[in-house]
Amino acid sequence: MRVLCARHPHLGLIAALRRYPELREEPVILGGAPELRLPVVAASAAALAAGVRVGQPLRQAQQSCPAAVFVPLDPAGVGTLRAAVCAELHRLSPTVEGGDEESFGDLSGRHAEFPDEASWASALARGLRGVLDTEIAVGVAGSRFVARLAARASRPGRIRRVRSGEEAAFLAPLPLEVLPIDPAVTARLAAFGLDCLGAVAGLGPADLQRQFGPDGIRLHRLARGEDSAGILPAPAQRTWSERLVLDGATGDLEILLRGARECAMTLGGRLTAEALAAGEVSVAFELEEMELISTSGVPPAPAGNAGALWTAALGLLGLLQPPAPVAAVRVSVTRLAPAAGRQADLLRPGDGAREAVVATAERLRSRFGAATVRRPRLALDPGDLPERRFTWEVPVVAGFR
Amino acid sequence: MPDSLSAALATLRSRYGPQALRRGGSTEEPGAWSTAVPVIDGVLTPGGLPRGRITLLAAAGRGPSGRLTLLQSLVALASRSHDTGYVDLAGSIDPGFLADLGADLDACLVISPGPARWERGLVMARSLVTAGMPWVGVALGWEQPRPSLWEHALAALTEAVAKRGAVCVIATPFPAALPLRHASSLTLTCAPAGWQRANGDVSALRVQLTTSKSKLGAPGATATVLLRYPRPYAIAEVLGLPSVIVPRVQPVIVPGLDEAAVAARG
Repeated sequence: MRVLCARHPHLGLIAALRRYPELREEPVILGGAPELRLPVVAASAAALAAGVRVGQPLRQAQQSCPAAVFVPLDPAGVGTLRAAVCAELHRLSPTVEGGDEESFGDLSGRHAEFPDEASWASALARGLRGVLDTEIAVGVAGSRFVARLAARASRPGRIRRVRSGEEAAFLAPLPLEVLPIDPAVTARLAAFGLDCLGAVAGLGPADLQRQFGPDGIRLHRLARGEDSAGILPAPAQRTWSERLVLDGATGDLEILLRGARECAMTLGGRLTAEALAAGEVSVAFELEEMELISTSGVPPAPAGNAGALWTAALGLLGLLQPPAPVAAVRVSVTRLAPAAGRQADLLRPGDGAREAVVATAERLRSRFGAATVRRPRLALDPGDLPERRFTWEVPVVAGFR
Repeated sequence: MPDSLSAALATLRSRYGPQALRRGGSTEEPGAWSTAVPVIDGVLTPGGLPRGRITLLAAAGRGPSGRLTLLQSLVALASRSHDTGYVDLAGSIDPGFLADLGADLDACLVISPGPARWERGLVMARSLVTAGMPWVGVALGWEQPRPSLWEHALAALTEAVAKRGAVCVIATPFPAALPLRHASSLTLTCAPAGWQRANGDVSALRVQLTTSKSKLGAPGATATVLLRYPRPYAIAEVLGLPSVIVPRVQPVIVPGLDEAAVAARG
């Protein structure tokens, strides 16, 4: 496995500086007003140079840097930036993880567009620099922990690669403080006279386990760069949409249907090509001289091809009643996830079509009414009334929703 | 056959598949779905209900005919091995009765388009068949809309059933509409043959089934089944009744004996 770690300024700080661009050269402290009993979340380079440290109380930071500007954290802005970072990473990497100050991407295998890992990582770094408008420090290594330390060892605008097999040598001179473990364990290691990761890696796993219990094994692996922690995939960060501008605004349902179908087919083809499935589908009409109208829905089963996507979009189209001529049609998919396969029941013929049947039932329900397609189920406590012998349920594929 | 024609046929087969061209005499036998009632399967030419065709259960006259009970029992049977759709245009569905017939309700999808909405019901049935539903039953009610409103939907359903190789059974009251009779490949006419009573209550209905139309075999075959209703300690089921031909006894006139004596001799 090869992991890319990109270190960038805190996304909250970037969002704040985008909101107040006049503060770019000023010392800025992120966390809120200084009178609040809160810690410093992030600080600009000027503030850090003045002695401000992340995690210290805001009041203390104010004493260190009286000229600093204090800005609150904007969760919405951070979320938007994180989504943009993940989307950019997703463009070139199948599995990504977005954090406030670090983002990860999977560089395992080969990418068709790039001859080697270095050019692939460079492309990712350039993309992130374009999104965040700042230089990124990048580290590439065989594990998450080593990649993170490589990124820390790198400088903004540079890539530090640790080749396979060289992890232990890279880690050996680093101090114990970089280990993501309990500080008490670090203190005990220091008490033993172990002052760097190379010294810890030289110990046997049995010795470390005797001293530190189960944490000893993890400590041994971390010190040798053999940790198995991978990337925690960022869920549902991507949105794909397809927009079709009509030749002149129209209210003709047939034309709108064709437009939506064309968008759905194109998007479905992209989903199939990328082996992804959409957990949510939305359809929007851009109206002439009016605000656009849109609706979205969760298909009974994730839509991973053109047919399933068109079925989901068709069900939504019935909900949209444009009050003015439509100038453009847009179909979007979100909550993208790898299209997982499903084990069909071996002894039930036609089971493979169950998702398609349920999706069609969902579309019929949305078109003709919720009571038109239902699945009966016997009541557990029917009582004496015959009509209570059964209940009606919405048909749903098992395992979804 | 000229070489050019052979080459053209080979090109068409390679381009559109071997099933695209067939000789007129080599019509393929469609697959059959067994009803699990040997008496019924015995009168049906493929050995069961034909796949990819419309089967019509038509009432022979006004009044109860047993067609809906028979349809529901077939749905119950199908649900044990397939996903099954039941389009209830008659407004008579009782899932409890389906359960009494042994249906797997998890595999049953009940479609209720509303009374007399034949077109909507047939459209919904077509959508489900197109999506892959392998077995669909349609129960039509007494109130018949004008055929012009729904015959197009029926044609689309017929096409979808043929394309997907699904089993589609439509139960229709008397008289069966012309488009239905035209679309069906197999028409089973259901005629009541009498009630069966037990302890002063109706326990079952005897129904005579006649293949009044069959595109797959010779029509005219008959079978008698017993539609047994659920009762305490008795399940609902369809039973085939033995078709024993009892020759009518002709009185033998012996010279010298009067008619009373003939009657006494039986």
